[in-house]
Amino acid sequence: MSETSLFTEDILTAARTKAQSIIDEAQAELERATQEAKASISKEAADIVRNAQAEAEAIKRRQTSEARHLSKLHEQQEKNSILMEVLDRTKKRIIDATKNETIYVPYLTSQIANGIRELGYDTAIVHLNATDLKGINRANIEKDAGKHLSKSVKVEWANEPIEAIGGAVISSSDGKTRIVNTLDQKFEALESTLLIEAGKSLFGK
Amino acid sequence: MSGIEAVKVIVDAEKEAARILAEAQSKASQIRKSIDSRIQEERQRTLDGAKKEASAIVQHAEDEGKVEAANVTKDSGKNVQELVTKASAHKNAAVDKLVNVILQENK
Repeated sequence: MSETSLFTEDILTAARTKAQSIIDEAQAELERATQEAKASISKEAADIVRNAQAEAEAIKRRQTSEARHLSKLHEQQEKNSILMEVLDRTKKRIIDATKNETIYVPYLTSQIANGIRELGYDTAIVHLNATDLKGINRANIEKDAGKHLSKSVKVEWANEPIEAIGGAVISSSDGKTRIVNTLDQKFEALESTLLIEAGKSLFGK
Repeated sequence: MSGIEAVKVIVDAEKEAARILAEAQSKASQIRKSIDSRIQEERQRTLDGAKKEASAIVQHAEDEGKVEAANVTKDSGKNVQELVTKASAHKNAAVDKLVNVILQENK
């Protein structure tokens, strides 16, 4: 091989080596950038999966929590329904009791006596419902109320009947003070106690 | 080979060397230009995979949650039924007690 040929071969070899180095450098740059990006992309992907896991836990918690809430609501509705039925039956039993003189008359007498005691006067006006105004022996009640109070009392019976299932409204002679001892008022005043007592009997709490 | 011929051969070789280098520069430039799209493709592929995985995780949780919720409802229904049965057996006693509370109050 001539010297010229050797020289040109050297020129071309150097060019090819340099060319390969230029390409290798670009390739390495590509690999480096891709690897760096992969780390960040992997982190982004891991975040997506982690968020999904957190969302999944929340979904499960929400679904079971909703089911528990609805179940609790259903339980409460059933309890309320039983409680209301018991209150309703109690009211009916009380209405029935007002028709039984043996039970009702002593009760009415004690309510009237209590009302007079609360008023603090020896004279009182007593208001009854229409049934009691007609059917009750008022003279006996007045006498028995006096026995309750261990003193003689003067009862004036109001002619106008009150709207009540039973019991009485006792008022002062001037009508300024009124003691409401009706069964309706008892029901209203004792409602929370009745619910608690019914709850204890029915549900053991 | 004459001197002139030798110079011509060397000039041609240098031209070829320059062409080789220019070609390499062009190829390197194309490689660098492809970096963004390559990263974008990689990102798209990886995130698509992650989104699929995430979707499967959520779907699985929804299915599991439905089963758990159904179990809770079923168990609770059974408990409520027992509670109603027990309470029903005590209704009469409860009514007696409440009647007594009302009639005995302030007696």
